[in-house]
Amino acid sequence: MSDRNDQGARHGGPPVVSCENLAYAYPGSERAALAGVSFELRAGEYVGVVGPNGGGKSTLLRLLNGLLRSDSGGVRVGGLDPATEPYLVRKRVGMLFQNPDNGLVAPFVEDDVAFGLENLGVEREEMRERVGAAIRAVGLEGYERREPHTLSGGEKQRVALAGLLALDPEVLLLDEPTSMLDAEGRAETLARLEELRGARTVLHVTHHLDELLSADRVLVLNAGELVADVPPERLVTDADLLEENRLALPTILRLAAGLGLSSAKPRTPEELAAAALRRVKQGVEAR
Amino acid sequence: MRIELEDVRHVYAPGTPFEVEALRGVSLAVEADGVLGIVGGTGSGKSTLAQHLNLLLAPTSGRVLVDGADARMLKGGELRRRVGLVFQHPEAALFAPTVEEDVAFAPSRLGLGEEETRRRVRETLELLGASHLAGRAPHALSGGEKRRVAIAGVLAMAPEVLVLDEPTAGLDPATGEDLLGIVRALRDGGTSIVVISHDLDEVAEVADRVCILEGGEVRAAGTPEEVFYAHPEASLAPATVRTASILRDPYPEVGKPVRFEETLAALNGLLEGRG
Repeated sequence: MSDRNDQGARHGGPPVVSCENLAYAYPGSERAALAGVSFELRAGEYVGVVGPNGGGKSTLLRLLNGLLRSDSGGVRVGGLDPATEPYLVRKRVGMLFQNPDNGLVAPFVEDDVAFGLENLGVEREEMRERVGAAIRAVGLEGYERREPHTLSGGEKQRVALAGLLALDPEVLLLDEPTSMLDAEGRAETLARLEELRGARTVLHVTHHLDELLSADRVLVLNAGELVADVPPERLVTDADLLEENRLALPTILRLAAGLGLSSAKPRTPEELAAAALRRVKQGVEAR
Repeated sequence: MRIELEDVRHVYAPGTPFEVEALRGVSLAVEADGVLGIVGGTGSGKSTLAQHLNLLLAPTSGRVLVDGADARMLKGGELRRRVGLVFQHPEAALFAPTVEEDVAFAPSRLGLGEEETRRRVRETLELLGASHLAGRAPHALSGGEKRRVAIAGVLAMAPEVLVLDEPTAGLDPATGEDLLGIVRALRDGGTSIVVISHDLDEVAEVADRVCILEGGEVRAAGTPEEVFYAHPEASLAPATVRTASILRDPYPEVGKPVRFEETLAALNGLLEGRG
């Protein structure tokens, strides 16, 4: 177990998020949704969260932004307790949900991105600047006057992300942000998230390990407990850890493992095919 | 039963500013057996199409045929009983105090009698590996358990065609794999199954036939091999096909594998034969 908790020390400074011995049970439930979970996020870290249904992933996010209050143990976000100061915490923490349809409210894209800022009473000029910057950050220039309902799933999720970025949160909480999207929408959303790497602290919940291959660390939650806190390359090579936590390797990594090509670390069909071609060529030359 | 869509168009909110043409002349057959996978991007018309298979939505133009006859000729309720539709996130509709009662809801309205209803509920839960949940309260189940119970509620009507809209969305990979095992078992038992999914890797594993929808039209339909190898680009083919189609170019002996195990065997054959 101890070697499954080698938190990267790459990112220095005080933690932006810290959880200590966090525990929570839903009212009326005998089973703890979270039991004794401790970890820290440093500024600029990109950290994944995986684990079986009912493992505690969503509960953790809800405790971090103050939607739930812990039974025991502490949560701090930027030094604040989300349970007692939810409004201050939510200025620093943005949350992206599964289904972008549920969060888009305004008639036009730019109004939707501005919605959160309007609620904070930001000056008009500053608002215009921040909305423009957020729209550029997600690559939606030219979409300002489009109506959200006419957009594709990937575009809608980028509008929702822009709405978060306009508020300039330090921490982004992502709750399966690609699960409702098709292959194209997924790729779009992941590319935009990748660009935020280092600039924000990100906690990304997903069932798709291929989305976390370049994360700094991955937390594995199972039955409310933090069973591992490891770099992704450790997780994808630990067959027991994967199986115990009902995780599946992405198809490309499974093929690579079955072909003895894991050392090439392919992530795409193109990279796997290239590794196979190199192997064939080596074999021919060796004859 | 065999369902056939004949040049089906569907327009939502016709004549209003919100008018959207979701299906633009779709012709497609759902055969009486096997698994048909329907894939396509968000907004391609997948869910609209699904709801035409039991006439929950009626075509704006075109026809839905059941064994060659217009589906509208079937007596009230008969089509809905014979074609079971499981929506996306069906667990949202669980409502009874116990799993048993929830699964019994639809069959109890078929006039089967109490004995027969109970037998069907028991058999369906058994088939789905959910017998141990019979007395539990649906809201206290895990996501994967709820999904099974919701599917059981439709299966208990013993439909000839089962339509599953995004059956594994939001489930952890192992739970999703269990569910695909159930789909295969039902198929082997003679139920015709339609799986609608945006997960191409999943469809590749389970489908006997595939249809790609794009912008409300059928872009391709046929065996997985025909359809996926005709369109090996990133957004239309599973990872197995995308990998094999690159290697086929210099090494045709790779063939056209689709499922994971087939692909692994074909690529291992290449590495061993040539390596």
